[in-house]
Amino acid sequence: MTASARVLVVAAAFALLPVLIKSDFILTILVFSFLLGMLAVSFNLIFGFTGQLSMFHAAAFGIAAYATHLAMVHLGVSFWTGMLLAATLVAVLSLIVGIICFRFRLKEFYFAVVTLAFSEMARLVVLNWNSVTNGTLGIILQDKPSLWLPGQGVVKVDSTLMWYFISLAALVLTVLVCLRVISSWMGRSFAAIRLNDELGDTLGINVFRYKLAAFAAGNLIAAFTGSLYAFFLGSIEPGFLSIEQSLAIVAMVLLGGRGAVAAPVIGALVLTSLPHLIHFGAEVRSIVYGSILILTILLMPQGIYGTLSNLGRRRRAA
Amino acid sequence: MGRSPTWDGAVVLLEVTGLTKRFGGLTAVADLSFSIAKGEIVGVFGPNGSGKTTLLSLIAGVIGPTSGTIVWKSRQIQGEKPHDIAAAGIVKTFQNPQLFSELSAFEHLMIASHLMLKRRLGWHRIATLLNPDAGRAGPDLERRAGEVIQLCRLDAARDQLAVGLSYGEEKMLGVAMALMCEPELLLLDEPASGLGQAEIESLESVLRDLRDHGTTLCVIDHKVGFLGRLADRAISLHHGAKIAEGTPANVLRDPNVIRAYLGQHHDRV
Repeated sequence: MTASARVLVVAAAFALLPVLIKSDFILTILVFSFLLGMLAVSFNLIFGFTGQLSMFHAAAFGIAAYATHLAMVHLGVSFWTGMLLAATLVAVLSLIVGIICFRFRLKEFYFAVVTLAFSEMARLVVLNWNSVTNGTLGIILQDKPSLWLPGQGVVKVDSTLMWYFISLAALVLTVLVCLRVISSWMGRSFAAIRLNDELGDTLGINVFRYKLAAFAAGNLIAAFTGSLYAFFLGSIEPGFLSIEQSLAIVAMVLLGGRGAVAAPVIGALVLTSLPHLIHFGAEVRSIVYGSILILTILLMPQGIYGTLSNLGRRRRAA
Repeated sequence: MGRSPTWDGAVVLLEVTGLTKRFGGLTAVADLSFSIAKGEIVGVFGPNGSGKTTLLSLIAGVIGPTSGTIVWKSRQIQGEKPHDIAAAGIVKTFQNPQLFSELSAFEHLMIASHLMLKRRLGWHRIATLLNPDAGRAGPDLERRAGEVIQLCRLDAARDQLAVGLSYGEEKMLGVAMALMCEPELLLLDEPASGLGQAEIESLESVLRDLRDHGTTLCVIDHKVGFLGRLADRAISLHHGAKIAEGTPANVLRDPNVIRAYLGQHHDRV
């Protein structure tokens, strides 16, 4: 069975899940998991497959969330048009940040620090531009996206169940697109850059162009995620663009595994649901939560998916 | 220096004129001029530090020259990016094998098929992101990778990860990757260093096969015996400057070359 077919089978199973699970609470956790999974998968395109530790991902996510709302309020457009405009803005910003970083051949630690600086710049603008962003208080989003459904016409997306299917569809689409890219000539160029960019260059691969493509594509998907996440949550605040948000995305990828396109979704599921499963006081919960994360990363350096795959391979070989 | 002799009537592919590269106070390549004609094997040799590797890096665009010109098929290419020079038809291998450690030999060749796909489909290769069968280039690339694996005697290593390859296989994989780029001029940086006699003989046979299939080669190496057998024409460097050029036998007999290799007091060898 191909990777795409496996993804569709798992997606079909999740699509049937609401038949068994009626709990709004669990469905809500799953919606957040799917959206953060989408964010982690898009980050892994830049980090896991192209080897660039970008700290701009949270900024792409947050800028799109604000930009979608601002486009709807000031331009009077629908959520979907606002989302497209926000994604265009993020794509342009990503190209600017990427061109600066890659023209100066920033790699590894230096690339991480410079993208973090750009991300902080964006966060500080959001934080201090009170008249537009409402500063630290953030913005409550009253509007919900509308959707045309066969037989029902245009309806507001206001139930958790509708968000469940939208977020699941968005995640599946993201995984399928990334799978197609990674298994193509473009994915091979990303691998060359990750493993030995000097060699890739002498083999005719335009390292600058493909680094930029991975960076822009990953941020573009993060932008779509930011718009959906904000309107599901019903609010936006500067924390969307924070370092903590960037590190949470890194943790999801490391926990799930960066060797497979869909693996970070496992990390997103675990990290989103874990705080709700651990019933301790807030201070003890943070310690337990952090310890589980550290131990998992120490004991399973290839992530949950990589470790389970290796176990399965060994069992089949034995 | 004047224009170098080439095969009579042969088409000159590469013309290097007055090429100089300085690293601070050190002159690695000094006012070097020579040319390479289509279909020949040019051997460049010289003792350690004579500027051989720097010369190949200059031609391949890995570093830029201080002065001088490199003309490839009537176009000046000095200072261009390595990927542009590779796309123009000049591909270089590395002295110490440079590989993608996590990948198999076959996967290396598929990465190296980048230029082949680009030449076949151009911008239409974007369509293969939506439909992998668009342009039907995939099977062509895989078939060519199989042929190159056979040509480079890498059949046994095809599915092995690069970390598990012997040194000789690593070197040969470097050549195989370069071949997947369909080079018109292949620059080989010390391909025989570190290889045993049997591996050197196999390498010689592969390189002759390549020449017979139309690839022009510029090979640098310490091993004068290897270059003497392989090259049609030889150039000897010392302190970055050309001290002799001609047939390998004549160059190896040149008193300047003997002095450069063995020192001032060994005029007769």
